[in-house]
Amino acid sequence: MIQGEEAKKLHPTLSYLVQKQSLVVPLIAVLVAFLIGSVLIALQGVNPVGAYQTIFNAALGSERGLLRTLEKTTPLILAGLAVAVALRVGLFNIGAQGQLIMGAFFATWAGFTFTNLPALLHVFVGLLAGVIAGGLWAAIAGVLKAYRGVHEVISTIMLNSIAIALLDYLVNHPFKEPGQALPRTVPIFETAQLPKLGFVPVGFLLALLVAMFISWVINRTTAGFQFNTVGANKFAAAYAGIKIKYIVVASMLLSGGLAGLGGAVESLGITYRFEPAFNKGLGFDGITIALLARANPLATIPAAFLVGVLRSGAPSLQFDYGIEPEIVDLLLAITLLLVAAPILGKLIFRKYAKKSETISSGWGS
Amino acid sequence: MRRIRIAAGISILALVLAACSTGADQADDSNCADAEVFCIGLITDTGKVDDKSFNQSAWEGALAAAEELGGVAKYVETVDSKDYANNIAQFTDKSYDAIVTVGFLMAEATVAAAQQYPDVHFIAVDQFQGETLPNVTGLMFPEDQAGYAAGYLAGLMTKTNKLGQVLGLEIAPVQLFAKGFEAGAKASNSAVDVTTVYHPPADNAFANPVWGGQEARKQLDQGADIIFAAGGGTGNGGLIEIAKDPAAGESVFCIGVDMDQWNTVPEAHPCLITSAMKLITPGTTQLLLQVADGSIAGGNFYGQTGIAPYHDFEDVIPDDVKDAVADVVAGLKDGSIQTGVTL
Repeated sequence: MIQGEEAKKLHPTLSYLVQKQSLVVPLIAVLVAFLIGSVLIALQGVNPVGAYQTIFNAALGSERGLLRTLEKTTPLILAGLAVAVALRVGLFNIGAQGQLIMGAFFATWAGFTFTNLPALLHVFVGLLAGVIAGGLWAAIAGVLKAYRGVHEVISTIMLNSIAIALLDYLVNHPFKEPGQALPRTVPIFETAQLPKLGFVPVGFLLALLVAMFISWVINRTTAGFQFNTVGANKFAAAYAGIKIKYIVVASMLLSGGLAGLGGAVESLGITYRFEPAFNKGLGFDGITIALLARANPLATIPAAFLVGVLRSGAPSLQFDYGIEPEIVDLLLAITLLLVAAPILGKLIFRKYAKKSETISSGWGS
Repeated sequence: MRRIRIAAGISILALVLAACSTGADQADDSNCADAEVFCIGLITDTGKVDDKSFNQSAWEGALAAAEELGGVAKYVETVDSKDYANNIAQFTDKSYDAIVTVGFLMAEATVAAAQQYPDVHFIAVDQFQGETLPNVTGLMFPEDQAGYAAGYLAGLMTKTNKLGQVLGLEIAPVQLFAKGFEAGAKASNSAVDVTTVYHPPADNAFANPVWGGQEARKQLDQGADIIFAAGGGTGNGGLIEIAKDPAAGESVFCIGVDMDQWNTVPEAHPCLITSAMKLITPGTTQLLLQVADGSIAGGNFYGQTGIAPYHDFEDVIPDDVKDAVADVVAGLKDGSIQTGVTL
């Protein structure tokens, strides 16, 4: 805590900012990204203020816009949590996408396979199927890591491709909707559909609860303490008697389960069927979100909301100004670059800058 | 010093991006609620309006109609396939008169929106309407006829008696092109052998130029000397690969699809003898004008197909071949020649 003591010599406000830099840096990164983005927008001959207004108006200005934004935010929170949980243990789960689509498919499968279940139970079974599918998929990487030392970055990336190919096969052959040229499953039964309360999808509330629960687990339980300890220094953790192999597998199981839940919520709440074109890139957005949130479970909520707002407002940007909607990906990419590379923190806080914590540790082992 | 460098880096990046950007201005649609002003909205199914084939031709048709009517045309490119309904709603919210949904993938979203907004007329490009709704017109094409004419030409031009086809997703319009091509080739040259490959089902089936190039290469290696590449960006990849062959334009040729790809894929000039065209642009314009004057009917409307000019290969293709192909095109048009293709 040398940094904390040094910080006390500073002006109280400054010292507060230095202590809260894991919050300050992402906020400034977003601001800077929007500034750079405004230059890019202005160069296309469009007023950036108007453009940003359009995005936020479209995403938040009407009930339909809010519903769309929250629908987009929901799987992003869960995917962000998935990556964040693994980061706590020092694992970089690049495979959230594969786990998410496994969850999306198996939730759908439960949704169209079981008949005559009461609505509440059917939804629960669907969500559970998604969690299990995602969790087991990630656990493969966890076991390989724990018992064979296979780097999780490599194995999860490969498992992404395997998941895509496997699901391609499943929706093209055994589970293909008859008489359809497109590869997709039949729709789920109505009993398996997650409802909406006005403009709030039930899945969103579920995601909020899960984020709070994960935050509690990580910060307030023995399991969470073990996660953090292994992430901070696995040798010290092993010396302290923590079963590292067990923690690695358990954390991947949890991480994948969260990603799978993200896919399940999407299938049961929005798409009502599985199609390989759905759920595109959600797991990769989860990486952005987890890094933006600095692996803090509760912070994934605002981070996911930001991404959700940008994605939900982007089509209107093209509608009103004719700018390619991909400009929002540019904004996110710039934000991520600024957060992930420790440039910004050093630029602002100089010698008081914290060394970036959780983000880099996943690569060392 | 470091900050200056960062600032310089950022401004260079900005300039590069600005140079690349199109900065297309969207039209002013504030008066669309006015009955006098005819407003046309167009939505792509995850493609781009400058894709040099399918979406671009529909968008050009919408622009032509807007110009003729003194109206407004605007487009939205879909990024996320879950957004179809939302993108349609952007237009209906502003009281657009006609909405063009481009592509097979939007079929269900289009019908759902048509039921929700009975006052708006939908032009559904490439979407067969099994049930007739009064406010949806499916713009369909007899792709088999364009494929047949192109295949007839290929059958006469081939030296190896081996033809190839590199295709997008195996859906009705692509199958019609492919089966028409094969039927046409067999009609002009009974000894011909046609190798056909469809992109495996995936959401990039029409946007995978790398795969298209690889498959075209394989077919060339197996002795095919004329290849029909039909499948958006996937097909374009095939055309470009064939154009790179040392024998391109002498003993190896390629055939494009949808538009006259001579104009849209200049990289294919070395090999591109013709393109099997769907006249989407005039079809879209015609239907939109019908919406404006009230004569439009629901159900399916069949547009026209054809084959593109030979351009630089005008002198390479023998006159008797050109005459024979012209006869076939005329015969297809007046119905005296049937392709015999069924799905």
